[in-house]
Amino acid sequence: MRLPRWMLSRWFIVPATLAAVVLGWNLHVAANATGEVRGRVVDATGRPVAGATVLLFERSFVVNTEKQRVVTDAAGAFRFQGNASHAVQLQADAPAGKSERVTLRLLFRAQDADLPAPLVIAR
Amino acid sequence: MRRGFPWARHAVLIVVSAIMLLPFYWVFKTAITNENIYAFPPRLLPQDPHPYNFVDVWYLIPFPRYLLNSVIVSVMAVIGNVVLNAMAAYALTQNFRAKKLVVLLLLSCMLIPFQATIIPAYLITARIGLLNTYLGLALPLLSTIVCIFIYKAAFEAVPRSLVEAARMDGLSEWRIIAHVLLPLSRPAIATNVILAFIWSWNSFMWPLIVTRDANMQTLPLGLARFLSYMEDTTGALYAFVCMVLAPGILVFLMAQSAFIRGLTHGATKG
Repeated sequence: MRLPRWMLSRWFIVPATLAAVVLGWNLHVAANATGEVRGRVVDATGRPVAGATVLLFERSFVVNTEKQRVVTDAAGAFRFQGNASHAVQLQADAPAGKSERVTLRLLFRAQDADLPAPLVIAR
Repeated sequence: MRRGFPWARHAVLIVVSAIMLLPFYWVFKTAITNENIYAFPPRLLPQDPHPYNFVDVWYLIPFPRYLLNSVIVSVMAVIGNVVLNAMAAYALTQNFRAKKLVVLLLLSCMLIPFQATIIPAYLITARIGLLNTYLGLALPLLSTIVCIFIYKAAFEAVPRSLVEAARMDGLSEWRIIAHVLLPLSRPAIATNVILAFIWSWNSFMWPLIVTRDANMQTLPLGLARFLSYMEDTTGALYAFVCMVLAPGILVFLMAQSAFIRGLTHGATKG
């Protein structure tokens, strides 16, 4: 089967390829954009910290505004839902101390993401 | 006819190309790394590349809206140039009284810088109620004199007998343009498309004056707005520049051979 000549033109191939990439990317975004951010909180020795409060800050042009806070479970794990930003900062606050504020940059808004390294509570 | 050392010619061309492409590479490298552009010694290869600057640009300002505005205005300018310039050029290939005067007038208009015509252009646009509209944004670029002359050169290269034969067969002037001249002038069409696209895509001054509303701004205005918002701009700014440049470069690469043919068309005529 031979393709019509216009389908072999670069004026068709390039826009069609771009359209396919955009469509594929949007499907990927639609499937992975529930806004779930997961992570863990540990102490300086690497043991999980239960009951720590984790704060999620949303980035805008010049400020980071606190949007949500959750408490870690017995395994030190936390999970935010409904994050609508593409760049957030996370910080853990426990009776023993605070962690550094960690920036998590995402590829699109509300991307589901796991924090690559746990938040470490420092005294 | 080609003699000498082809490898030497190619080596020189490669070096020249590399020098000309270096700024583009540097912009792209900075966009994907956030590196300080003043760092010394400069790094040739990117360290820890990431796409997040592009994501910032997409979300921190209404980039999709600016992109849509730029695309709409550019498409209008391209269509206007392809159609209106063809009509004007066809008229200039005909014999009529004061033709030389009209050509002289058009050529002399090319000498007037756009900045000198901004106030009357603005007043006319305001009078016809096109301020802050897509048509108003595209209006000054709907027909450009350079592109009229590119069409004129292409139309003059078409044998006169062909046009006469079409006329004898009963084709109207419109159909002669559409069915005889334009199909034989593809390089001129490509040149019109590229020039109109690039000029309207990069236009800054006119959209700045005509738009009242942030939602009507085009990408070059968005770039200026982005600069005024962001303090730490290096990586994101360069990412913005890449995103603004990409469509123009893509259109040029797709049509470059026809573009070059269109520009040189008529230049070698005896």
